[in-house]
Amino acid sequence: MKTGLKLLAAGIALYLAITGAFFVVMSQSPEKIAKTMMRVPWTAFRVFPLRTVWMNARSGSVQRGEIAPDFSLESADHKSHFQLSSLRGQKPVVLVFGSYT
Amino acid sequence: MAFYIVYIREAHASDIWQDPDNLKDRVSYTEPKSAEERSEMGQLCAAKLGIKFPAVVDGLDNATERAYTGWPERLYVIGQDGRIAYKSGPGPYGFRSKEVADTLHRVVPPLRNGLDLSGGLLPKPADRAIRNPVQPSQE
Repeated sequence: MKTGLKLLAAGIALYLAITGAFFVVMSQSPEKIAKTMMRVPWTAFRVFPLRTVWMNARSGSVQRGEIAPDFSLESADHKSHFQLSSLRGQKPVVLVFGSYT
Repeated sequence: MAFYIVYIREAHASDIWQDPDNLKDRVSYTEPKSAEERSEMGQLCAAKLGIKFPAVVDGLDNATERAYTGWPERLYVIGQDGRIAYKSGPGPYGFRSKEVADTLHRVVPPLRNGLDLSGGLLPKPADRAIRNPVQPSQE
C-alpha cells in the first residue's frame, strides 16, 4: 500500500514537472519554442494541459488600456508603408497577426 | 476603422516545426530567410487566404511580433485613442474573431449608437428596421 502511494506521488510529481517544463519552453522565443516542440509528439497536447500552459506562457507583456507599441512596416506588395500611430485620433485599427502555415 | 494583416514569422514552417494538418492541406513552406522572401510569402498568404485588407510585413528582426507577442497568431483592436482596446489570447486557441466584433461594437461610435451608419459598415437604419424589427437596446 505504501509503495502504491509512493508511486502515485512520484507519478503526480513527474506530471507536474513535465507540465512546468512545457511552461518554460513555451515562455521562450517562437524560434526556440518551435525547435523544441518539433521533437514533441502532438499527443502531448492531449496528455498534458498544454492549451492552458500555452495561453499563460504566451500571454505577453502589453496589456489592454496601454498605448499600443508603435511600428512602421512596409506592405507586402512594397507599394506603401503603414505607421500605426498615423491613425491615432482618427479611427480604430484591427491588427491580425499571423502567417500562412 | 482600418484592418491590417501583420504578416509575421511562420507558425509551422516545414523546416522548423511541421504541422501534419498543413501537410494534409498540402501547405508546406520553409521559413523565409530574407526580407524579400518574407514579403513574397506575405503576399502569397494574403492571396491564398483571400484576405481583402492590406498586409504589412514584420522585419526579419521580428520586432513587431515581439512587441505584441503576435506569434503564431493574435488579434488586437487599437482604439482611436491609440490604446489597446482588445487583445486576444495567443492563437490558435485564443484567436476569437467574435471578440473583435464585440469590441468594435463597443468602441466604434456609429456601431455603438446604431445611429450614423455612414461608411457602409452596416445596413442603413431603415433597412435594418425592416430586416430586424426589434431594435437592440441602447447601452
